[in-house]
Amino acid sequence: MSVLEVRDLSIRFGGLQALEGLNLDVNEFEIVGLIGPNGAGKTTAFNCITGFYKPNGGTVTYRGRDVTKTPPHVKAAMGFGRTFQNVGMVKSATALENLRTAQHAKAGYDVFSGLIGTGASVRAEKKLTDKADAILDLLDLTAIRDKRVGGQSYGTLKLLELGCALATDPDVLLLDEPTSGMGPDESDELGERLLLLRKEFGLTILVIEHHVPLVLRVCDHVYVLNFGRLLAEGEPSFIQTHPEVVAAYLGGEDPEALAATHETAEDAELDAQLEARVHGVTATPAPEEPVAEDEPLDDDTTELPVAPKAKRAAPRTRGKTAAEQREAKAATPRPRRTKKDAT
Amino acid sequence: MSAEVYAPPEEAAASPAKPHRAPRSYGPIRWLPRILFLLPFVYWVLWRIPNDEAGAPILADACIYAIVGLSLNILIGYTGQLSLGHNGFFGIGAFAAAYSLTVRDVPFAATFVIAGLCGALFALFMGFIALRITGLYLALITLVFGLTLEESLFEVEWLTNSGAGQPADRPEWLFDDRNFFYFCLSFLLLAVYIDWRLLRSKTGRALLALKENERVAEAFGINVTAFKLLAFVLSGTLAGVAGALLAYRIGIVTASGLGFNLALTFVLMTVVGGLGSRLGVILGASLFASLTFLLDETWVGVVQTFLVKVLSFGNHTAEINIEGSIVGFIGALGLLLTIVLNPGGIAQQIRPITRWLSGKPFSLHDDKDTGPGSVEGSSVRA
Repeated sequence: MSVLEVRDLSIRFGGLQALEGLNLDVNEFEIVGLIGPNGAGKTTAFNCITGFYKPNGGTVTYRGRDVTKTPPHVKAAMGFGRTFQNVGMVKSATALENLRTAQHAKAGYDVFSGLIGTGASVRAEKKLTDKADAILDLLDLTAIRDKRVGGQSYGTLKLLELGCALATDPDVLLLDEPTSGMGPDESDELGERLLLLRKEFGLTILVIEHHVPLVLRVCDHVYVLNFGRLLAEGEPSFIQTHPEVVAAYLGGEDPEALAATHETAEDAELDAQLEARVHGVTATPAPEEPVAEDEPLDDDTTELPVAPKAKRAAPRTRGKTAAEQREAKAATPRPRRTKKDAT
Repeated sequence: MSAEVYAPPEEAAASPAKPHRAPRSYGPIRWLPRILFLLPFVYWVLWRIPNDEAGAPILADACIYAIVGLSLNILIGYTGQLSLGHNGFFGIGAFAAAYSLTVRDVPFAATFVIAGLCGALFALFMGFIALRITGLYLALITLVFGLTLEESLFEVEWLTNSGAGQPADRPEWLFDDRNFFYFCLSFLLLAVYIDWRLLRSKTGRALLALKENERVAEAFGINVTAFKLLAFVLSGTLAGVAGALLAYRIGIVTASGLGFNLALTFVLMTVVGGLGSRLGVILGASLFASLTFLLDETWVGVVQTFLVKVLSFGNHTAEINIEGSIVGFIGALGLLLTIVLNPGGIAQQIRPITRWLSGKPFSLHDDKDTGPGSVEGSSVRA
């Protein structure tokens, strides 16, 4: 059973079929990439999955439960953490306040005991602050703890937004372009962070990303959208060389003509990479494309959980048997996950 | 490798472990000037004015207005919903208390509960409208709501004692105006406590979040619909209770004093006081409650002469009579100054003092303290 299962998802805005028959699976502890050109429907898919849009057709299933029509705030409480393409935070509040606000659903006291100010609610508040501080510490953002979010740089905001999503105590994390506004170095760092977060919090991650090296580095599986339809899916290395994907990004067989229209350096970089594949240039930029399967994440002081790594190494198959799933689940420790404490 | 990845950002590394601290090693003694500074105010507000026969009712009014101000602040300052119909909730509270006490013989204490519940109920109704409509049109609807209540419910015979006004007699121990002021003050303190708890619990954070961005609030797991309604209910309850206090303060409730002018005054005093600031709202409310007393005939004359001078030209002499509208005039002036010059209202102006009183060294320019309820300029100007 997948954590997240999307079947035949369709949504229409007036005359525009934004999504059509989207099928998507996200398995436990996977990092799944969702890529595609601008306007392909990636963010729309996110909004449908998290409940912000009501799809015209299709279903979204979360751990066996149909959650197609569940409102977003309920989904957030269920374990859907998400970030927005344009930073989604309370900009007039401080970083700490944002992290505390994000823990709303898991605050551990009801509205009225909060208003009366019972001892339990005050203690719960203390816990929220502690957790917020822990997240700030984890993301190296302690310096902006008491600063207003609005004045921070875009890259910092994206990172803090990730922190806010973490503060909601998510099970599935949906990240909409987490590296936008970040430089290449910061992006690489973020990739490492995602891998670490998955390990620490036992997260399953679905990520929209344009930064190709990051996708290659962290994703176990990639879905490519184009004009609201699924264009291709598979392992990153497979997607990289997929002719249709290349065509979708380059808009045809004439990459040279389009090379002139690169809007940003990032696009140029991306196109250059894809171009390299088209022309059969096999020499890949060495530092930017590590082979995800083989490289250990960390030095030998800490060990990886067995299952995710094993799963990544194994070829992905749809429709695993129930026994296999149970095995996979049992074999995977989820170290710091404390759902019971929170509820 | 991990060291590389988790190297702290340069900013964090560069900043010293402890932030810059102004020298204040005076210990407990540093509170002495602050207490000395506050003493005269405390003396005047808690003893001198209440013992004055004319002063006590004004202070009681100030308390009542301040409760309404806090109630409006929850809606405008925290939740971002404009209400121009607060005279409605206020009036319902007043009538409900007077009616239940005089006609239904309900115990004195219970009338406050009834007033609060009635205010909450009508506010809930308005909340449902606010879920559908926002901005200018919500303001219009709330305005119409207040006007409609004034023309309909506040004219109903059984409620208004056939238009003569519903009497609301205080119990004996509150006959004294001074005691009644202390009574109102205790309600104000209760409202302040609730407001304080609101901002320090998840509820207040939820309201501030949904005010700024409903989608983000939802992504954080906040039930936007429920919390918007909750804000209206809380606001309505406070306004209703304030209405009950007004009923006992005047002794007889009629529709005449509960018109749109009152709603406008409520909004003006909250904005001029300083949205999002508890102390600012209380000061603004006190100012507007006492304006008619502070500005006696001499002042009205001065303002009027000034206006006539300014607006007359050539042979034409302006004929102006602002005697009845001096509060509105000052309010409009205050609103203009607030919006153009200091969006934080009175609270922003006195911030150096309040900061100093809270134990920090005195400085005019230090806007680092940004409490959860503090406002950006845009929130007033939006």
